[in-house]
Parts: sequence; structure tokens; C-alpha cells
Amino acid sequence: MFSPAAAFTMFSRFPTKALLLIGGKSRRMGTDKAALIFEGKTLLERTSATVSSAVSEVFLSVAHDEERDFPQPLIRDLTPNPGPLGGLQAAFAHDPKTAWLVLACDLPLFDEATLSHLLENADEEQSASCFLNRLDGRVEPLCTLYQPTAGPALADYLAAGKRCARKFLESLQPQTFPLLHPLALDNANRPEQLHELKSLAEEGLKEKEVTITYFGKLSAEAPAAEESLITSAATLAGLYEEVRLKHYLSLDLDTVKPVLADEFVDWTTPLPPQSRVAFLPPFAGG
Amino acid sequence: MFQITDQVIDTASLVASIESPSSGALVIFEGRVRNHHQGKAVSALEYSAHPVLAQPEGQKLIDETLEKFPDVEKIAATHRTGHLGIGEIAVSIAVTSPHRPAAFAACDYLALQLKNRLPVWKHEHFTDGTNDWT
Repeated sequence: MFSPAAAFTMFSRFPTKALLLIGGKSRRMGTDKAALIFEGKTLLERTSATVSSAVSEVFLSVAHDEERDFPQPLIRDLTPNPGPLGGLQAAFAHDPKTAWLVLACDLPLFDEATLSHLLENADEEQSASCFLNRLDGRVEPLCTLYQPTAGPALADYLAAGKRCARKFLESLQPQTFPLLHPLALDNANRPEQLHELKSLAEEGLKEKEVTITYFGKLSAEAPAAEESLITSAATLAGLYEEVRLKHYLSLDLDTVKPVLADEFVDWTTPLPPQSRVAFLPPFAGG
Repeated sequence: MFQITDQVIDTASLVASIESPSSGALVIFEGRVRNHHQGKAVSALEYSAHPVLAQPEGQKLIDETLEKFPDVEKIAATHRTGHLGIGEIAVSIAVTSPHRPAAFAACDYLALQLKNRLPVWKHEHFTDGTNDWT
């Protein structure tokens, strides 16, 4: 019997299984982010097609009580709320002897070249191989190849009550690569971020000088109420995501209002080459 | 007329600015610093505002309220910034209209809009030494 999956097996180049992280019903998108459309296809379809070009067995990581139907085989979380590492935990339970490529599906510009670079250069002697985040230079768990030796390490890590995917990856002291294409691992789990990525892809990365003023709660969370920095963000949304991650700001974009040159603007507003920006948390007058 | 001020609010001057012989009703609302918030004892509040946007946004909210309640004659409102002790006035609203219902409804509406839509933030200090942004 001939099936597309069998066809991929024939051309598979790597003895690896892939786990696509599709997220739950995303609170941030108001819908499930894997269904977000980019260039005519859902992010899940795009990512799945890219991965299937190199890996024969592709699974979707889903919640333990997932009810939706998918064309790909599923690997369910072992427990109701296992945290971000629950997918990898379930994958190693499914097959502890294989290397697992773990990949988020909300990476609109993820490409075959990036995937091949990781798989072709991965050192099997290392517990994990991954890329470095373009903004902060730290290891990026959104696209990582975990060797079987990472399985027991993960069990220990989770047994210690820890849940952070990035810190787990750091604890493995992984092999790291710089990104071939800087935007390949930029994720978009909101429409505004998708717009940001489209803008970056069209215009390229351009350095801009920006002065940011933080108000209210954000002024207490940022290192100072005002900062100047060089960014390559295309829009206000990209800039906010950059500083949110950098300063561990507690507020998501949908609760914050952006201001450009003392005027309220949309998140999709292009960031000028030199600009004065303010980020306003929810108001609390009276 | 809307104002942001770092001075103590004088509600009487707010009232004086909108009084007229045709106003059969004057409704005044003062939002004052309460000594408790969600079960914690409050010692003081610190209000901050966007230095450029707060004034025009406040004025927009007054204009919107006047449009929504056509029977209202005049509205004046002021919001305070800076450090406020218990009992001090954070916001004061005065509304006049020929008859009572419009002034009450407009005052309540504006108080809610100022809470949600004025770019102002409240830093609460509690008597146990902790603090919180809202």
C-alpha cells in the first residue's frame, strides 16, 4: 500500500523523529495559533511540509485531552498541565531511543535550509543541538534536536520541579549554531507579530534609534523609566516584543497601548528610523 | 474643561467655573484616597500621568460625555497627580443640567471613563510596606 508517509520515509535523510509544538488553544491569538494563515497556508501546514522534507516521522505535540482532529499522528502530554517541556517528556516516553527534533509551529519564516543546517551538523555526542536567538544570543528551544541522552536529563530536571524549556536546554550545554537566516526562528503567535515578520521579510533588518518611556507598572519592571536603544524592529509590535523579552515585562501586548511621538498608534505602525516611543499599561484613574 | 494638576484639588473653584442660572441641578463627585484596597491597608497613593496625552484625553472624555448626555449644560473635571494621603481628592467632577437625572448619569459615566481611559496610573503603598501598581 502506498501512502504519502511511506513516500517520505523513502526519502528521509535523518534517523530522527520530529515533534511539532502546536500549542493549546492560544490565549494570545484568541484562536489556535497553528491555524494562523501565512502566505495562503496555515503555520502548521507550512511547518509540517518543511519538516517532512527531511524527517519521515512527524508528530504533533498536543494536550492530554486534545479533541481536535489532525492529519498527523499525535503525542499527547502525559499529564494535564505539564508546562512547556511536557511535549518533549511525552515524546521521550513514546520513543526514548530516537533523537527528537522539537520545533514550534509558529515560526512563519522557518525554512528547509535552517532545518538541514541543524540536522546535518548536529553532533550525536552532544545531548542537544540548537540555534542562538538573534536578539539575546541565548539558546533557542523553539528548534532543537535532542539526542536520546537528553531524555534522562529531562526526567531529572522535571523531577526537581523545574519547568523552563530554555533553562533546561542551557543545562544540557548544547552544541549551538548561529542562525543562517536571522528571521527563521522568529515566532508569531499574534497577528501583530505576523505583520511584524512580514514587514521584516520585505524590508530587511534596518537599525533604528529609539527612545522608550515606560509608564506605570512597566516603569517599575524596566531597568529605568526611560531607555535609548538600537533596534531592528519593523513595527511598534516588534519593538515591544523585543523589550518584553529583554526586560521580562509581565504585560502582554494586548494589554499595553503604544504611543509614537506623543500620539496613540496601532501596533502595526512602522517604526521610523529615529523615534520616541512610550508603552502604556492599563490605565487606572480615579 | 479638563485639567491635570499636581496641586490639591479645589472642588469649589471647579463648581464656580460651570455654575449658571439655568442649572437646576449640580452634581459633584470626588474620588478620594481610600484606606484599604482588596483587603490591604493603604497608606498612600502615587498617581502618574502621561505628560502630553492625559490632558487632551481627559478633554475628549468630557466632550464625549456632553455628546452622550445632551441635557447636560457644563462639565468640569480635574485629576490629581503625585503623592496623595488618605482622604485626599484624586479626581473631582462637577456637572450641571436643568434637571437632576442627566447630571447624575453624566457624572457617573464620566467617572467610569476617567478610570478606564485616562492615561493615568496608580501606585499603591500599603501600611505593611509593600506596594502595587494598578
